[in-house]
Amino acid sequence: MLEQIINWFPEWARPFIMPMLTIAIVLQVNLGVCSYLILLERKLSAWMQDRIGPNRVGPWGLLQPLADMLKLLMKEDVIPGHVNKFLYVLAPGISVFTTMLAFAVVPFGPVPSNLSATDGQFPYIIAPGIDLGMVFIFAVGSLAVYGIILGGWASNNKYSALGAMRASAQVVSYEIPLGMSVIGLALLTGSMSIEKILLHQANAGIWGWNIWFQPLACVIFFAAAMAEAQRLPFDLSECEQELVGGWHTEYSGMKWALFFLGEYTHVITISFLTSILFFGGWHFPGIAESDSNYLGSTLVKMLVLMTKSFAFIVVIQMLRWTIPRFRFDQLMGLAWKVLIPLATLNVVCVMIVKQFHLNVWWLLPMSALLCLGAGLIGTQAKRPFLRRATPPVDKPHGHHAPAHAH
Amino acid sequence: MEWTEENGLLLIPLGLGWLAVWLLMPSERKRPRILGGLAGLAAILIMQMMLLPPAGDLVRNALFFLFAAGSVISAALMITDRNPVYSALWFALVTLSVCGLFLLNSAPFLAAATIIVYAGAIIVTFLFVIMLAQQSGTIGNYDQQPLQPAMASLGAFILLGALLFTLQEWGHIGGPDASQHAMPGQFITVPVELQPNPLSQHPPDNPHEIGSLRVLGRSLFGDYLFAVELAGTVLLIATIGAIAIAPRRSQGTL
Repeated sequence: MLEQIINWFPEWARPFIMPMLTIAIVLQVNLGVCSYLILLERKLSAWMQDRIGPNRVGPWGLLQPLADMLKLLMKEDVIPGHVNKFLYVLAPGISVFTTMLAFAVVPFGPVPSNLSATDGQFPYIIAPGIDLGMVFIFAVGSLAVYGIILGGWASNNKYSALGAMRASAQVVSYEIPLGMSVIGLALLTGSMSIEKILLHQANAGIWGWNIWFQPLACVIFFAAAMAEAQRLPFDLSECEQELVGGWHTEYSGMKWALFFLGEYTHVITISFLTSILFFGGWHFPGIAESDSNYLGSTLVKMLVLMTKSFAFIVVIQMLRWTIPRFRFDQLMGLAWKVLIPLATLNVVCVMIVKQFHLNVWWLLPMSALLCLGAGLIGTQAKRPFLRRATPPVDKPHGHHAPAHAH
Repeated sequence: MEWTEENGLLLIPLGLGWLAVWLLMPSERKRPRILGGLAGLAAILIMQMMLLPPAGDLVRNALFFLFAAGSVISAALMITDRNPVYSALWFALVTLSVCGLFLLNSAPFLAAATIIVYAGAIIVTFLFVIMLAQQSGTIGNYDQQPLQPAMASLGAFILLGALLFTLQEWGHIGGPDASQHAMPGQFITVPVELQPNPLSQHPPDNPHEIGSLRVLGRSLFGDYLFAVELAGTVLLIATIGAIAIAPRRSQGTL
């Protein structure tokens, strides 16, 4: 049916129809899902804190997102007098644009293997066949921080500037473990393409999911990705108790909402990526195997992937009220002293297994051992690697020092 | 005399470019900045005419000129902007445009890696600008004006001239596409046909694979292993040095 519709169009326009349709669907679904995820987050927060949560607009508060949207749209568009106008308006746009762009290479269903732009198959991905996959996402993700730092600097406000500084240091640090954690997957699969990593797991069955071989990488990826998205417990840059609102202190109305649209899109992308890279994507034993071809199997596969991603979104929202916010030095320490060495050792383990042609299952005890070792080092009273912060002692300086020692 | 006939044309865009950058540089005296902008545009247009037209399809050519003009103009604005923060942002635009050129020439990994490396680096530059540069309203304007604008830009344009001259020589030999032999005063065309690296020990079997991750990895860790390892060692030494220089916790900082 889609093919006939495509054939109505002139020759030159045909390759653009399916991508345009996909982009339109993804954009609309994303906007709708984001607004209801915010309602879910508010309800979950209320439930975890023994409150009722929004329940006045519509049955069980289900129309609350519409009311919020109306309020944000009707609000006066305030641009304070002391800001750098161009960058102030540009920053929310960059934030939304980059996070949406990252979603372009994330498959949200079973991508057909013989895909061409004009034969009317729905591609289930905006940009199919990108060999770089993960590298593209990291490249676009590293641009996302420009939205925050420009917004913070252009606001001409000390709280905003402090939030932006924190965000930039945080994102630059957490990019490293994020990238390192998927190198193992690339080595195991032989490709950086997200579609290929998914297919590799789907063909291998449930015991071929990457979570069995790379559990440590999964945890590192998830933590680093949450830090990139500035979600609690890593939301140092908007830390309400210290910085009023952080980098978005001076923003209101729709511009403020755009920042949070960007953040939620980032959360959705992370959830999709985690379920695709480590939990087999649309594969589920019994109902969605790679050779299941019954009527509606495509829909089931898509629903499986959506369910997995939804589960991760809920986990991210529950983590918000489970782990308190880090202190800034703890945050940087976590990235540089824990995640980066662990990710490096994890890559070394994969390299050993690949080089000596060992069974892939050796990676499971290796990951457990690494995790255990890190835990042991972290909990020991006398830490060999992490020196405790001791208050600076007023030592006498210069040549008097040896005399005092005796 | 033949040499000046062939290469004298090169001096026109270079001179105009130098004039443009010099006029656009921030200074205490009022300089006609509009004149500078016009000279810069003229330099770019003349340069564009001296390039052989790239032999691609319409979309490709349009994208090439978009990215090329974007990178050159952003680079000029980066040097001449009064505000160091804007300079850092123009630098980001230069990087993005150059990455667009990489993508056009089938080097997607190079483009992505450049963005990853430079996006972080520019953020750090941004922090340094905020920390170290004098904000407006403070005493003195040492950050707002260059020390040797004329000589510095002259030196840069002499370097650019040398580069263009070498490219022109290459164009006369025939370059990648001997059929389009360069006329006097014209430069080589932008190569559209992809060719595997002639020096490679493991050329890709499939011409579609040129520029892919697999071929790039083979080339880096096969043909250029020594250079890669050397660069890695240098970076490792720099990292160790940074840690060695940094003050210890017991000494009261960090």
